[in-house]
Amino acid sequence: MSVVVNVLRSGDNSKPNPYTIAVIANPALETPWRSSIFVGDPILNSLAAFQAAVVYIESNLFANLPGQKEKLLADLSIQPKVRLVSIFDDTLPADTGTSLVGQDDVSNILVARRDAFAPHLAKYSIQADVAYAVSASPSHTRASAWFTSDDDTGAGVAFTLDGSEFSHRYNYAVPGTVAIHATASSLTALHEFGHAASSYTNGAVHDLYVDSPTGLNNKVGRPIPPSFADYEGTVYKSDLTRDGLGYPPGWRSFHCELLDPSCPAVMDNYFLSRSGALACQHDAITRRFLRDRILAKIGRP
Amino acid sequence: MQPLKPEDKKAALENNPNAAPEDLQEYERLLALRFTRDPSNPGNAAPFAAGTEDDLEERLKALHRKLFSPENRTASRGA
Repeated sequence: MSVVVNVLRSGDNSKPNPYTIAVIANPALETPWRSSIFVGDPILNSLAAFQAAVVYIESNLFANLPGQKEKLLADLSIQPKVRLVSIFDDTLPADTGTSLVGQDDVSNILVARRDAFAPHLAKYSIQADVAYAVSASPSHTRASAWFTSDDDTGAGVAFTLDGSEFSHRYNYAVPGTVAIHATASSLTALHEFGHAASSYTNGAVHDLYVDSPTGLNNKVGRPIPPSFADYEGTVYKSDLTRDGLGYPPGWRSFHCELLDPSCPAVMDNYFLSRSGALACQHDAITRRFLRDRILAKIGRP
Repeated sequence: MQPLKPEDKKAALENNPNAAPEDLQEYERLLALRFTRDPSNPGNAAPFAAGTEDDLEERLKALHRKLFSPENRTASRGA
C-alpha cells in the first residue's frame, strides 16, 4: 500500500495558486456510471502502468511526442509556469468520494465524475485547473472530458467574441476534468485538454468530428460564411471545406480556418490525418483562445 | 470525447448489417452532445437539437442497442 505524489513540473512557485494540471490514478470505478456501485480500479494494481500513462500525458501536453506539431503548452510564456502533479494512492476505499471515473452503459466511454475531483485533490492539498483521472478499466477505453465551469462571480481577463463580452476567468467553480485510459495514445490527451481547459460560459471547445452545437470553435448554418468569428478584433476565416475531410451532407456545423490545411484540427478526428495524427494542430481560433485563457490564469493574482 | 478510429467505425458497421452509417453518426453526435451541457448548471449549454436530457439518453440507448447489441447482430446474420 502506497501513496505516491510527484511534482513533475513545479510551475510558477511565486504564485499561491499556480496554473496546475493533475494526473490521478483513479481509485474506484462507478459501474455503470450514475449507478452508485463502485469497484476498485485495476490501475491501482500497477504503479508502472500509471507512471507510463503520466509520461504519455505529459509528453503529449508539452509537445514531446516524436513528430508532434501542436505546441500550445510548450510555448515558453506558458511551459515554465505550469505545475504538473501526479497522484497514486492505493490506500483508499472504493466509494462515491474516491471514484473519479464512471463506465458509460451505452458506450465504451470513460466518464469523469467531475464533482469528486476537487474534494479528492484537496486531500493532498492540491488545486488543479485541469485534472485527468487514469483508469485501467477492462471494458471501457475511450476518453472523454467535461469543460471547466468557471467561477463567474470572480475576476478574469475580459475579451470580446463577435461583439459580445466574455472573460477568461481566473478561477473555476468545477475544474476541467478528463477520464482517460492507461493505454491512451496519439493526440488523445491533448484533444481532451482542449475540451477541459475551455469553459461552459466563456468559450466551449467542441468536438469537430460530429455535427456539434455552436461554441468557440464551431458554428452552425448554411451557407458557410467566409468569416468565422471576430475574436478580440481579429477576424478569423471559416474553413469552407473542412480541408482533407469534407463536411458530410446534412451537417450544419462549420469550423474555423486551420493553421495547417493539410491536417485535421486537433479537436477533429486526428486519426484520419493522412500525415499522421501527431501532425495535427489546433485551428486558428482555438489555438489563440486556449493560449489567452491559460495565460490569463497563469497571470492571476 | 476521443474520436473513433477508422477501424473501429468499420467494425461497428460490419458487425451489424442493420446499422447504417447515419446511425453511427447520430450515435456519435449524441454522445458528444452530452458533454456540452454543464452538469452543475444545465442552463449553461448550447441547446440540444431536440428534447431534454432524458430524451437524449433514450435515443442513445436505442441507437446503442441497434448498433451493438449481440441479439441484433445474431438476428442480422440469420436474416
